[in-house]
Amino acid sequence: MSGFSRTGAEDMGKVVGIDLGTTNSLVAYVHDGVPHVIRDGAGDALLPSVVSIGEDGTFYVGREAQRRLLTAPSRSVYSVKRFMGRGIDDVRDEAALLPFTVGGEPGGVVRIGLDDREFTPPEISAFVLRELKQRAEDHFREQGEFDFEVDRAVITVPAYFNDAQRTATRDAGRLAGLEVLRIVNEPTAASLAYGLDRRDRGIIAVYDLGGGTFDISILKVEDGVFQVLSTNGDTHLGGDDIDRRLVELVLREIDGSKERSAEEIQAIRKAVIAAKHDLTDADEAEIRVDTLGYRRRLTRGDFEQLIRPLVERTIHPVRQALADAGLEPSEVDEAVLVGGSTRVPLVRRIVSELFGRTPHSELNPDEVVALGAAVQADILISGRREMLLLDVTPLSLGIETMGGVVSKIILRNSTIPASGREMFTTGVDNQTSVDIHVLQGERELAADCRSLARFKLRGIPPMPAGLPRIEVRFQIDANGILSVAASELRTSIAQTIEVKPSYGLTDQEVERMLIESFEHAQADIDARLLIEARNEAETVIHATEKSLRRPDFAEIAAADLQPGEHERIESVLDALKQVMAGTDRDAIRDRTHDLNHATQHLAEVMMNRGVREALAGKNVKDV
Amino acid sequence: MDEHFCPQCSRILALGRHGDFFAFLGLPRRLVIDQAQLERRFRDLSRQFHPDYFYNASPTERLASLERSSYLNDAYRALRNPISRIEHLLAIEGLPPAKSDEGTAKVPPSLLEEVFELNEQLDEIRESRESGADPAALRERLESARKPIDLKREEHEREVEALSARWDQQQAEGAASDRRATLDALRERLLERNYINNLLATIDREVASLEAQTRT
Repeated sequence: MSGFSRTGAEDMGKVVGIDLGTTNSLVAYVHDGVPHVIRDGAGDALLPSVVSIGEDGTFYVGREAQRRLLTAPSRSVYSVKRFMGRGIDDVRDEAALLPFTVGGEPGGVVRIGLDDREFTPPEISAFVLRELKQRAEDHFREQGEFDFEVDRAVITVPAYFNDAQRTATRDAGRLAGLEVLRIVNEPTAASLAYGLDRRDRGIIAVYDLGGGTFDISILKVEDGVFQVLSTNGDTHLGGDDIDRRLVELVLREIDGSKERSAEEIQAIRKAVIAAKHDLTDADEAEIRVDTLGYRRRLTRGDFEQLIRPLVERTIHPVRQALADAGLEPSEVDEAVLVGGSTRVPLVRRIVSELFGRTPHSELNPDEVVALGAAVQADILISGRREMLLLDVTPLSLGIETMGGVVSKIILRNSTIPASGREMFTTGVDNQTSVDIHVLQGERELAADCRSLARFKLRGIPPMPAGLPRIEVRFQIDANGILSVAASELRTSIAQTIEVKPSYGLTDQEVERMLIESFEHAQADIDARLLIEARNEAETVIHATEKSLRRPDFAEIAAADLQPGEHERIESVLDALKQVMAGTDRDAIRDRTHDLNHATQHLAEVMMNRGVREALAGKNVKDV
Repeated sequence: MDEHFCPQCSRILALGRHGDFFAFLGLPRRLVIDQAQLERRFRDLSRQFHPDYFYNASPTERLASLERSSYLNDAYRALRNPISRIEHLLAIEGLPPAKSDEGTAKVPPSLLEEVFELNEQLDEIRESRESGADPAALRERLESARKPIDLKREEHEREVEALSARWDQQQAEGAASDRRATLDALRERLLERNYINNLLATIDREVASLEAQTRT
């Protein structure tokens, strides 16, 4: 069955699954019931999640941007996923170690400075998503598909992402021109990809250690229903942290006191990542930074000693998830490894010890999440019901009550969609509005939980204090994203709710960014076209001048050119050089065309001469 | 048993005001349930309601799918666990919730003896801890103080099970007044249970602070 069966007239474009990763991102789609990862022209499935801005304002995404980490580190952004849905206060420590500028107002979203512009993390992620969209469209066009446009996607997020982080991811999709059909949890998506082959029953544990995040999900599979029983994790633990430990080791050894440039840090980072990869199979590797004259052998033992505390941070979440599912480790039938960092042998050993069995890693741990996202996308648009994914909300949802205590409304590990309701009343006579603070987290005090949003309930009919009965309904949808509605029960008047996301973008901000990104996209295209026009003009100018400056030009002109032809060429050449100084792309193209036209005869003359000369220098026998 | 889809046009029905999880899941109103049947009903209904399958439907149907799925998930969570199952039954039978502060405010008569004993021991342990007694020995004393409470809890669970079975029996054949008496008894047990859990939590906190002290 085709993955793109039409179930409605509005289904025109293609649908893909996207793994928007900390380090790398991928795009996949389902064809004839089988998910495939889409590769770029060079055969690469992984698109580095790096965005860089050139001196001329051109944006680079992926491999080229990754190369620019070494040459233009302050103009290149990586690991932006760690900043999604976060405030500057959350990330100040790690931002200090990054070569690019991370700012933003206290209590607001993070803003990243690139050149003289500022970007929020969703805007940076949108560059990566646009690149993947483009890659998929190129692929479909090459396949000879008529409707090659990609307009909808399922995008994955770490299971332990909170509401703000999920919403930021959805905003990134919208900014990239994609309708986000569903936000799916990465470990759950991976289980779908694995489950394709064996649809039997059992308990699966998915251990997902990626570039920046760690997730553990415990699932029960029966009759094609993939039911998540519990999930846990750490949204700030992954390969990035391993790299950082290694970079710090090198910095200590070369001279810790000295301030290092961003270029030097990036060179070290590249060298330690290479050594880390080598240690997957080798017992020993070399860290080598030529620009600093630094070399060091690193044994796997040294490496494991260095990173063991990091890997051990995954143990507690695994135990907690098992406890929440009411299971013993021995009751897990299969453990599955996901994420590039599960290639580290120490990680595999620790997972084996945790579950008392060798984990599965048949599918490429980098690709399995994108494959699962494509499967989910296919389920959504095809309406096929053999498989169903039932996920949970990773964190409890609550509201702040008197004394800053949190009252839980939806508990963690509740299957989503989930809903909850809470009654409110007024404290003062004729009060017409009530403030509500929504939080996510497991702690008792509001100050220790994640602030999601502040709501203002307005339009409460004036009544004596304590009399209004305002019911607030919280709905977590299948994406794990919250919405809120309220009504006063005595009068049945629905209240308007003004949402102020604590660490997110308002709808208006997203709209504005969309418009800006179109404007900038136009500016970016303009810049590129101008460069192309100039390049072409320069080629023609160069060729023309080369002919005009020949020592024998006067001779040639006298013999083969028409009267006034030389003068005409000179004047058209001058005209082109004049417009080259400006930025009028059309004028440059027009004058280039004129010069091409004016020199057509000259070019023929030169060519004929060239042929004659070539022949003259040779014997008739050789011809 | 509830209708979830329109019998004429087979469209998913809006949820509206709702209250009975048993009827929603198409299960008899019983406290001793077949867990496998509950799981099967949950999966079957998930396959019918889930928003995944209403992606192309009208906004009204999409909303109905979202609300019905949420409600199904609530129902499944409440009925899966024997205690929350009783809580739900009490609610739909019109009894006040057993979750209120009423359970923690005064000691249930059946627990007086245990509570008195435990408080005395905890006071002593706290005093010894402050005067620097060996944490390992205190740990042992806490464990032994916990034993009678654990036993009480086990006994209590058996009582709840017996009462649940009795309610099922009466629901099948008994008089309304018998059923009501059993529900009242179940409610008493839930209040006691809250109290016992609070006692166990207090002991756990003592253990935790002992451990924190050992570490420093």
